[in-house]
Amino acid sequence: MAVTEGRDELIDDDGRLRGPWRRMLGSLLGMGTAALGERLTELDRAFAADSAVSVLARADHGQWHCDPIPYLFAESEFTPIAAGLAQRARVLEAALRDLYGPRKLLADGIVPAEGVYADPSYLRICRTPDAADQSPHLQLYAADLMRAPDGRWHVLSDWVGEPTGLAHVLENRLMMARVLPELFRSVEASPVRPFFDLWSDALQRLAPDGAGNPGLALLTPGHADPRWFEHVVLARELGCTLVEDGDLTVRDGALWLKTLRGLQPVHVLLRRTRGRSLDPLELHGETERGVPGLLCAMRNGTVRVVNSPGAALAEAPGIFAALPAIAEHLFGEPLLLPSAPSPHPPPSYIPCVGTGDTLEPRPVILRLFLLFDGSAWRPLRGGLARIVEAADNDDGGLPVQGLAKDVWVIVEDEGDIVGPPNLAMPALPIRRLAGDLPSRVADNFYWLGRYLERLDTAARLTRAMVARLARTPLLPRDLPEMRTLAGCLSDAGVIHAEVATSGETILADALWRAVSRGDGPYARAEKHLAALTDTLRDRLTGEMHAACVDGLAGLAANRKRLRTARPAGAIGLIGEMARQALQFSALVAGYTAENMVRGGGRLFLDLGRRIERAQAVAAQLARALDQPPERLVTGLQLALELCDSVLTYRGRYLTVLQPAPVLDLVVADDGNPRGLGYQLVTARAVLGILSGGENIGIAHALDPAIAETRTIVSDLLADDGDAAAADLPRRLRAIETQLVALSDAVVRQYFALVPVRWTDVPS
Amino acid sequence: MLRHVLYSVRHRTSYRYGRPVDLGVHLLHLSPRTLPSQRVLRADLVPTPAPDRVEQGTDTFGNAVTWMFLEAPHAAFEVRLEAVVEVRPRAAPPPAATLGWRDVAAIARERPEWHATAEFLFDSPMVAVAPEITAYAALSFGDGRSVIAGLLDLNSRIRRDFAFRPGSTTLSSTPRTVFAQRSGVCQDFAHLMIAGLRGIGLPARYVSGYVRTYPAPGQPRRRGADQSHAWVGAWMGPEHGWIDLDPTNDLIVADEHVTLGWGRDYGDVSPVRGVILGGGAHSVEAAVDLEPLAADASSIPAVGH
Repeated sequence: MAVTEGRDELIDDDGRLRGPWRRMLGSLLGMGTAALGERLTELDRAFAADSAVSVLARADHGQWHCDPIPYLFAESEFTPIAAGLAQRARVLEAALRDLYGPRKLLADGIVPAEGVYADPSYLRICRTPDAADQSPHLQLYAADLMRAPDGRWHVLSDWVGEPTGLAHVLENRLMMARVLPELFRSVEASPVRPFFDLWSDALQRLAPDGAGNPGLALLTPGHADPRWFEHVVLARELGCTLVEDGDLTVRDGALWLKTLRGLQPVHVLLRRTRGRSLDPLELHGETERGVPGLLCAMRNGTVRVVNSPGAALAEAPGIFAALPAIAEHLFGEPLLLPSAPSPHPPPSYIPCVGTGDTLEPRPVILRLFLLFDGSAWRPLRGGLARIVEAADNDDGGLPVQGLAKDVWVIVEDEGDIVGPPNLAMPALPIRRLAGDLPSRVADNFYWLGRYLERLDTAARLTRAMVARLARTPLLPRDLPEMRTLAGCLSDAGVIHAEVATSGETILADALWRAVSRGDGPYARAEKHLAALTDTLRDRLTGEMHAACVDGLAGLAANRKRLRTARPAGAIGLIGEMARQALQFSALVAGYTAENMVRGGGRLFLDLGRRIERAQAVAAQLARALDQPPERLVTGLQLALELCDSVLTYRGRYLTVLQPAPVLDLVVADDGNPRGLGYQLVTARAVLGILSGGENIGIAHALDPAIAETRTIVSDLLADDGDAAAADLPRRLRAIETQLVALSDAVVRQYFALVPVRWTDVPS
Repeated sequence: MLRHVLYSVRHRTSYRYGRPVDLGVHLLHLSPRTLPSQRVLRADLVPTPAPDRVEQGTDTFGNAVTWMFLEAPHAAFEVRLEAVVEVRPRAAPPPAATLGWRDVAAIARERPEWHATAEFLFDSPMVAVAPEITAYAALSFGDGRSVIAGLLDLNSRIRRDFAFRPGSTTLSSTPRTVFAQRSGVCQDFAHLMIAGLRGIGLPARYVSGYVRTYPAPGQPRRRGADQSHAWVGAWMGPEHGWIDLDPTNDLIVADEHVTLGWGRDYGDVSPVRGVILGGGAHSVEAAVDLEPLAADASSIPAVGH
């Protein structure tokens, strides 16, 4: 890119090296350009491994890279810019207050009517002509700036809707400190962390009076949003619960978070969704998203939302153009930092580590941030510098990928004020961390458990069938067993019901399709798992998330390989695929057992697995035991095999097969991890923990099924044992039906409902 | 000569849900507005079941807004407006007394003290200016024509050129669609006329309310047979302000209309709107009854919605 017309960031007006660069340049030159190239690679590696930005960003989005050379500000350069930005923020706040109130700026002709009324970001429903509520519209303000060839700073855009980029600021600083510690020794950079502490405090102080331990939540559009990783990072930094629309509800004039422990109040909502998506009742015609009644709760003063729903009006072109006049009219002040003319002059340029170990001058713009702490605007003493790419959109928003630089404000000497003097602040209550699991997250964990188990069940049945298909010659009992297994496979959705009664060739062919096709049952289960893993990626440990992602990618790659393997449809290859699916399932189960805290999400993951496996085992045993009396022994044998219990049975009873001991092992014994009893008892224990002694009903919903597993065995031991044996399939299916009902009850009890909007029909 | 007319207004909106609704939130623009031409003697909103919470407010256009929150499971929701309203007839100013339409447009566009009027100049979610509708409206506004003459002409032409055909449009039909198919209902004609007026630079707003209807000769008045109605408010300049015109019936609004409120389009003042949680399939029924309590004027010909 030609940069000759832009100003060189390293040089001052007199053509000398700018102050902060003198010491830094020494360090950089001392390292040499080759070493800088290595650090660039190291930075990339550090981001890929450890940063939330990389780990949480979706694979289909690009990545940000951080250049090893920071952007440097001398304290004396930064202070006037911060003052200019604070002024702009103050003017914008006053403009919003007026435009959503008395509208003097319009009546006095300072802002043209079209600039407000015709702009979609003006949310007229939020206008309160004589509002008593003086809560601020703006808490966070960001601006994009550039330095013109004459050395003056210009503001390219003001951002007050949902300003982004702070996660990058945090992570850039973190990774720079790790990879380039020597740079921090050459100059002293102001820390960025105090800004986030200040922000967290400001959020707590924003809570309406009387909220002793205020509930703070950060509202995100969800994990599909390109800025989701930033929402995760900010929620953690600020001690907010990360929530989506469906997690919230308005009751009794206040805002609540739906959690497993019931409704918890939300007093302050940090909004990262568009203002006009906040309330589908009043901000109609935009989307179905939002929390119905939220604006009412705001008007009641029970919840504060920042930045205010209508804040984005301050980003409208009509306001940007009128800003100097607004500042003059409302405060009698000229703007300290002018808006950039359009088209704007070429931005300044700054060296970046290029390919081939060279330094390349590239055009740079800055994003700086300020926070309103309740009394004044405080700057973030750092920021995000980014290199302007030819392909960048003109809308000025932060692109999803690019080259960034950490912004350093250099502390010049001990006498400098490092930050605003400490405010006398009341002692803060203990911060409420994201302790309450939103119902939506619980729902996702529950289904993660169910799909993991579904894949496991399919693979076990496939493996059992493959073992028989591979046998030549078949044993006498193989044929009826294959018929039963085929039935189980069809129950599990692996093969179609009509195929289940077919011969070996057709069965083998159906299994081949099931494991190898991209739209087959295996691939479908894996897709569900991938989507759930993606959704839960902020809730899983890095290791477990990586294990799931890598494992699923491995399965998909194997399937692709399988489709081209020869001989096509070979029994061995089907078995191989099933074996790998089982390995994956075992790996995830291992991570769950060893790495996940037993609580919250883990409980729902466990519950999902247990209910799914209990249903599968009940259904399989019902089929295996659905035999005429002369073939009952064969059925018992298969029942043991399906429950992985052959060895245990031999250990207990040697080789004699009788109904009561077999059923005791696979149905009643709650110590057998593949038996039905174990699933039921474990699920009941989880439900007991979840209900916390409150919702006793659901915790005891499993009691009849557990009692039934024991009665089944005692009935088999009774005098009319034969009749009891014949009745086994019916009784097992009845348990399966109870489990389906239980799953429905769990879903109703714990998981979020989705709102529906309707309207009347006019004449 | 012009006598006040007293009306009884009854407007019932009923929702039935397929499954119980856990949470229902309703936004109502259903209170008649107090105006120089309209005195509200009584206006009660009667919801069933009783909401857990009711809130009142005023929107940016000065309309009364009511929110109702039902926070316990319920299988149906009904809200009735029961009001008694005195309507004082309004008359249109003589053409010679009003400004030329270009002058009115210039004032709305250029004079900041009229910015609240200028709010009705711009596109709104349900009414976007379209060239063919602007051209259609412009035929009524020749050079130098007084604004009132142009408005009355356009009001008549819409009544002449468009067929009143219930069911030919939906809530989301755009003015362009209505213009192309030359038919619609009251709301469509109001939106169409608003689009035309904004297209030539005149402020125009959507007025929600009720119109008096007359039974066919020899038939008794049928209760609940009326419907919500909509018409157009158009601006005539600082001196004469707004005039209400009913393009569905080619009427100047005088003493046969009861006004609820106004906004940029239907979306700003829909009488009842809600969001429900759960509920499955639902059905809605509305019944309106506008009954004169005092002077009767049975000689006026029947009008449609």
